Amino acid sequence: MIVTVTLNPAIDEEYVVPEFVPGGWFRATTTDRSPGGKGINVSLVLKQLGYDSAAMGFLAGFNGEYVRDSLKRLGLTTKFVHIKGETRTNVYIVDEVGHVETGIVEAGPYVKEEALARFMVYYRRLLKRADCILFGGSLPPGVPQDIYRDLIVLARGEGVATFIDAAGAPLMAGLEGAPTVAKVDHRFMSRLAGVRLSSLDNLIEVVSGLHDRGVEWAVTSYRNYGNVFFTPKGIYLGEYDRKGLVSLFGSDDALMAGLALARTEKMNVEEAIRFSLACAWENSLHVEKGCRSREAVEELVDRVHIEKLE
Amino acid sequence: MRVGDVMDRDLTALSEHVGLATAIEVISRHRLTGVPVLDDDGRVVGFISEKDIVKAALPGYFEYIQDPSFIPDFGQFQSRLKKIRNEPVSRYMHRDVISFTEDDSDFFVAMTLIRHNLKRAPVVREGFLVGVVNRTDLLERIMVASEDEL
Repeated sequence: MIVTVTLNPAIDEEYVVPEFVPGGWFRATTTDRSPGGKGINVSLVLKQLGYDSAAMGFLAGFNGEYVRDSLKRLGLTTKFVHIKGETRTNVYIVDEVGHVETGIVEAGPYVKEEALARFMVYYRRLLKRADCILFGGSLPPGVPQDIYRDLIVLARGEGVATFIDAAGAPLMAGLEGAPTVAKVDHRFMSRLAGVRLSSLDNLIEVVSGLHDRGVEWAVTSYRNYGNVFFTPKGIYLGEYDRKGLVSLFGSDDALMAGLALARTEKMNVEEAIRFSLACAWENSLHVEKGCRSREAVEELVDRVHIEKLE
Repeated sequence: MRVGDVMDRDLTALSEHVGLATAIEVISRHRLTGVPVLDDDGRVVGFISEKDIVKAALPGYFEYIQDPSFIPDFGQFQSRLKKIRNEPVSRYMHRDVISFTEDDSDFFVAMTLIRHNLKRAPVVREGFLVGVVNRTDLLERIMVASEDEL
């Protein structure tokens, strides 16, 4: 079973507003409201691809009820700790004309020590049934910044593969735990290395350092429609066509879902890269985040361009 | 229809060692009427409902009088609840749990729930919790199915 951990879930509200600029008054042409947070998004994509997973983390208040109810109606397995406060709402404004996306995110509810202790009990219990665990997103107030490291170490102790997609201090701590797969933001790596990662060579040099820390796979974005994959079989650049793209919102989560599924289905390195990028591509072809179906993804697999780098 | 297609895949549960105070908090915050209780390996070993907790906190003589009008206020209930708040749920849970498997038919499950006057019951796979079936979810499903037939 794949388990996704979203410690700071959200309701994602996406508004399509042509020619959006700050300071104006606009009418959205399309809106979409859905449960979100990186781990939950991965669980949703897995479901769309016909694969069951269990989603866990913290939920609070009316927004938490909405998230929980939406996941229940979609038939997702859930194991959340319900806490006081309110699950956050994240707002995304997509300007199809100017090809600009704007996001506003909240901090999330405060997690008390007792709630965290209960989460750890749930986590240890699910570890026994998991083949693969994915951690995603920011941390809510009250959760220690190094929690991802501890969770990854616990999972490794049980022989469970770990995937992480985060940023900042939580990601840094997570990398210390040597996850199986790490999705690293290009801009974040640039800050981390203290240099501008303007060229591919530059990027390769910095991200290759992650292998030395025990990370099997590292994935980082390169330009808008491609990613560099640092795998045990070499470094690959994968890209897809930018024509017809509507919104990149959620495409990183779709990519992680693709990688997790590829590992579960024992795809080889190149197949895994193609499949995960096809998931990200399919996600980008419409306003609603996620993939329409496995078939829709499979149609794109052969059209993903991959190149092995020296 | 299989109950696996109707059930709620929420795995909220309690460990048999946690205190009643935790059980009350979980039941209340998750807006449930009861939760499965698991052993250290994650197998379902019991079920505790709000009714079980109320029964545990009621004064001993309530069983004989069977009439709440004799109870003047929350006083005794409150002090007894305080006294047992740290006692493990394993002491008050039902051990003879009625559970189902995902392949059980919705009709069989509905009949069993009605016969035993249960609102929800765990669904297990090889003893491990995989979901919970609620009477209301079954009712909703039956109603939707009947509307589709119209």
